Amino acid sequence: MSFFSLFNKKEKSAGVAKDRLRIAISSDRSNTSYPFMAEMKADIIEVVRKYTQAQSVHITRESDGDVDTLGIEIIIPR
Amino acid sequence: MGIVYAIISGKGGVGKTTTTANLGIGIAQEGKKVVLVDFDLGQRNLDLILGLENRVIYDMVHVMDDEAGLKQALIKSKHADNLFLLAASQTKDKSVLVQEKVKKLIEILKEEFDYVILDAPAGIESGFEHTIMYADATIIVVNPEVSSIRDADKAIGIVDAKSEKAKENKKVQKFLVINRINPSMVSNGDMLASADILDILSIDLLGKIPEDKGIIEASNSGKPIILNENSQAGVAYKRISKRLCGENVPFEDVESFVSPSIITKIKSLFQ
Repeated sequence: MSFFSLFNKKEKSAGVAKDRLRIAISSDRSNTSYPFMAEMKADIIEVVRKYTQAQSVHITRESDGDVDTLGIEIIIPR
Repeated sequence: MGIVYAIISGKGGVGKTTTTANLGIGIAQEGKKVVLVDFDLGQRNLDLILGLENRVIYDMVHVMDDEAGLKQALIKSKHADNLFLLAASQTKDKSVLVQEKVKKLIEILKEEFDYVILDAPAGIESGFEHTIMYADATIIVVNPEVSSIRDADKAIGIVDAKSEKAKENKKVQKFLVINRINPSMVSNGDMLASADILDILSIDLLGKIPEDKGIIEASNSGKPIILNENSQAGVAYKRISKRLCGENVPFEDVESFVSPSIITKIKSLFQ
């Protein structure tokens, strides 16, 4: 909420837009997977299949400060 | 060696093609040799905005596939000397674009022209990626409106991740054009101010274009608004064109903010 909105009964829509955009964009940015993710996943599956019966791999992503940690989970049927 | 600019937006309908046409004319009027390439395959429109729709015989796909020479396919503008158009194919879709061929085409154009300006398709699909792949810098066109700004941020993210320069760990320069500004709405607090948009997207401002009814008339007649010296939007495009030629044109609007570093960045593209 901006300073001026304290004096207005109705908050101006530009201020509302800014606040909403900030949240939406920051959420978009953190949810965006790496653009190479799909291709990398396909490559990993190819390699994994060469050695195992696994049909799929899951890639998880955790962000902590300046680093992202990618986890690769391979489920192998017994 | 010329500079390659990609004009992008993410969202459609914000004035990308109009901006491409106007800046092309503006830069050509500064005495530079300019080629505009319409990358919106299947939805060709830059020819229409420039008033050249009756002159298209060969398009960029013909050139890429060696079915026509570049000289045959380049269409000379009626509005400015030194300005040429390479039209999009109207019959083939974006799937005909192959990275190697796009690269080769752009390299040839860089040899011939000072400015190679690529008009990207809307969206962030493969056609968009081909447009930004070999760009030295991108110009992002937004409207002061939430969906346009959000989509632009997404498009910027792809430029940073996928373009050839980004892959070489070089910075792809990004400049923002805010189009269709309604000054009275901004001062009433009913439209996002440019400072807010710059703050959200954190990129440099290249220019601001006020909303102008003359834009529709200009499109109707195929004479871009920059040719009308009495139009506010036309003057704004003229000023942006001069900035893109490395001239330090002050931003006239008090409300606007621009870092002086932008001209340094534009100049560095010439080196």
